[in-house]
Amino acid sequence: MTAADVTLSQACGQAEDTVLAVEGLSIGFGSSPVDLVDDVSFRVGRGRTLAIVGESGCGKSITSLALMGLLPSPPARIAHRSARFLGRDPLTLGQRAFADLRGDRMAMIFQEPMTSLNPVFTVGQQIIEGVLRHKDVGWNEARARAVAMLARVRIAGAERRLGAYPHELSGGMRQRVMIAMALVNQPDLLIADEPTTALDVTIQAQILSLIEELQATTGTAVLLITHDLGVVAETAHDVIVMYAGRVVESGPVEALFSDPQHPYTIGLMGAMPSMGRREGRLLSIPGAVPPPSRFPAGCRFATRCPFADDRCHAQKPPMVEAGPGHAVRCWKAPLEEYLPS
Amino acid sequence: MLSFVLRRLAVMAPTLVLVSMLVFSLQKLLPGDPVLAMAGEDRDPAVIAQLRERYGFNDPVPVQYLHWARQVAHGDLGMSLRTHQTVAALLAEKLPPTIELAILSLLVALVVGIPAGIASAVRKGTMTDHVANVVALSGLSIPHFWLGILLILLFSVTLRWLPAVGYVPFAGDPAGNLIAMIMPAVVVGGGLAAVLMRHTRSAMLGVLNSDYVRTARAKGLLFRAVILRHAFRNALFPIVTMSTLLFGELLGGAVLTEQVFTIPGFGKLMVDAVFNRDYAVVQGVVLCVAAAFLLLNLAADVVYMLINPRLRRPR
Ligand SMILES: Nc1ncnc2c1ncn2[C@@H]1O[C@H](COP(=O)(O)OP(=O)(O)OP(=O)(O)O)[C@@H](O)[C@H]1O
Ligand SMILES: [Mg+2]
Repeated sequence: MTAADVTLSQACGQAEDTVLAVEGLSIGFGSSPVDLVDDVSFRVGRGRTLAIVGESGCGKSITSLALMGLLPSPPARIAHRSARFLGRDPLTLGQRAFADLRGDRMAMIFQEPMTSLNPVFTVGQQIIEGVLRHKDVGWNEARARAVAMLARVRIAGAERRLGAYPHELSGGMRQRVMIAMALVNQPDLLIADEPTTALDVTIQAQILSLIEELQATTGTAVLLITHDLGVVAETAHDVIVMYAGRVVESGPVEALFSDPQHPYTIGLMGAMPSMGRREGRLLSIPGAVPPPSRFPAGCRFATRCPFADDRCHAQKPPMVEAGPGHAVRCWKAPLEEYLPS
Repeated sequence: MLSFVLRRLAVMAPTLVLVSMLVFSLQKLLPGDPVLAMAGEDRDPAVIAQLRERYGFNDPVPVQYLHWARQVAHGDLGMSLRTHQTVAALLAEKLPPTIELAILSLLVALVVGIPAGIASAVRKGTMTDHVANVVALSGLSIPHFWLGILLILLFSVTLRWLPAVGYVPFAGDPAGNLIAMIMPAVVVGGGLAAVLMRHTRSAMLGVLNSDYVRTARAKGLLFRAVILRHAFRNALFPIVTMSTLLFGELLGGAVLTEQVFTIPGFGKLMVDAVFNRDYAVVQGVVLCVAAAFLLLNLAADVVYMLINPRLRRPR
C-alpha cells in the first residue's frame, strides 16, 4: 500500500462503510497499447457521494460502465489490482453473477434520458420487470413498488403514469423514471453518469436535489459523473479529478476547492464561473487533450502544463499526499514552491 | 383504430381507379390485336369485323374504359377471350394455389430468416455470423427454378420422399396438398429467408447499440430478455415492412417456381394471358394484385399501430 492509498481510504471514511473500492483500474481497447483509463483508484462509502470530474473523453463513462459490467470485453481490455463491492470483487464475477448484482445492488442512470427508455414499453412495464427480475415477489407487489417509487421521484399521478409510454413524457420526467427504475430495488450503489447534462437548467437542479434526498433516506452510495464543478460543489462529499484517463487529484470537496494542487484542477477552477478568477495563478488551460496515441510517456497533462519540465514528460508522477485525504499526481506538488511571487 | 381503417379504405378507392385506368390504357398501347389472335388461322374479315363489334373494340377508348369499369364495379371482370371462362372464375381458380404458396413460403422465410438474422447480429463477427451470411448470399444468388430442379432430383427422383410435380387442391386432400407444397415453399421461402435474414441482422445491429438496450442490461436482465424483449421488439418495424413487400410480390405469382412444380397459379395465368393478348384476364389479374397490395399495406399499417405505441397515441 502506498501513501496515496492510505490517504484515499482515510478520505472516504471507515473501511466497513465502504460500498465500492477500486484499485488500479485500467481500460484499453482492442490492440491499442495505450490504456485510455490508467491506474484509477477510488472508494465510495455508504451515504456518500463521490464525484468524478473531467473533460469530455477523459474516460468517466467507460470507467463506470466497466464497474457495472456493461463494457463489452472484448474489444475492451479491463485490468485492475483489486476491487471490492459489498465484500466481493465484481470484476471477476461470471456474466450471470454480475447480472444478479446489476439493477439490484448496483444501478446506473445515464446521460441520455430521451433514448434510455425503451419506446415500445410502458414506464410501468420497464420498472416492474426490474423488480420481478431480482425480487421474489408477485406482479401485484412489484407493481405496488413501482407506483411507490414513482411517487417518491415526485411523478404526479404515479398510478396513472405507470401506463404512459416514454414518448408521452418530457426529458425531466424520463430522467425521474430512470431514477425510479434504478432505485426501486434499493441498491447500495447508484452510478449517475452525467444525469442532468441533457436537461434544462431548472430541471437539472430538481433532479440533483432529488438524488440527494433519496440518498439521504436510503444511504445509497452515489458515484456522480459530471464535468460541472458547480454540481460537484453542491452535491459531492469527495471528488476525483480525471485527465486523459488518469486521476490527477482526489480528496474531500472542501480541500479540493479551497486548495487545488494539480495545475489541471486549478485550470478547471478558473474555468468555473462562480469561483471567479484566481489572481496570480493559471487563468485558463491552453491547448487541447492530445489523442491517446500521442499521450506523453510521463504526465499526460505535460503537453498543456506551464510548469512541465523534462521529468514531467518522461516519467509518470506518483500520487502524493497534499493534505488530509487529499492527494495529487504531480511532480511539482506542492505547487506553491514553483509559483512566482 | 376502426376509424383509421375506414379512412384508409376510403383513400384506397381512388388509387384503385387510377390503377385500373393505367392498366386499361397500357393494354391499348401494347402491340398486337386480340381479335386477330382470336380469329385463328383463316382470318376471315367478316368474322374479324363481327368480333370487333361484339367486344366493343370499335368504340373510342374512354368509352371502352367506362364500359369496362362499370362492369368491373358490378363484379364482372369480363370473359377470357381464350378459354371463354369468366375472368372471375379464372381468378377464383388460380388464386388459392398462389396464396397458399405465398403464405407457406413466407412462413418458411420468417421461421428461418428471423432467428438466423438475430443470431448473426448477436454474434457479429463470429463463425455463426460468417456462416449465416455465406448461406444467405448463396440463397440470394441461386436461381429458384434451378434449386427447385435440384430438390426434385434429390427428394423425388433419388430418395422418392416427395412427389415431383402435381398440385393437389387443399379441399380435396389437405395432407397431400401440403406434402406437394413442401418443396415449392422451401424453394421460394429459402430465397426470401435470405432477404429477411439480412434485414433482421441489420435492424438488430442498429438496435443492439441503442441506449435502451444498455438500460435493459443495467437492470440485470438476462441475455434472452434483453435480446428478444427489448431489442427484437424494436427491430420488428423494418421486418414487418419487408415481409409485407415480399408477400405482395409473392401474390403476383412465382412464375418459374409454379412452372417447375406445375402449380396452376397466378404466375402462369398471367404469363399465358399476356402471350395470348387475353386483355380481360391481364386486366383482372393486375387489378386483383393491385387490390391485394393495397390491402396488404393497410394490414402492415395496422400491425405498425399495434407494435408501435408512438403511432397509437401520438403525443
Ligand atoms: N468502444 C470503444 N472503442 C474504442 N475507444 C472507445 C470506446 N468507447 C470509448 N472509447 C474512447 O474512450 C475514451 C473515453 O470515453 P468516455 O466515454 O469514457 O469519455 P467521458 O469521460 O465519459 O466523456 P463525456 O464527458 O463526453 O461523456 C474516449 O476517447 C473514447 O473515444
Ligand atoms: Mg460520458
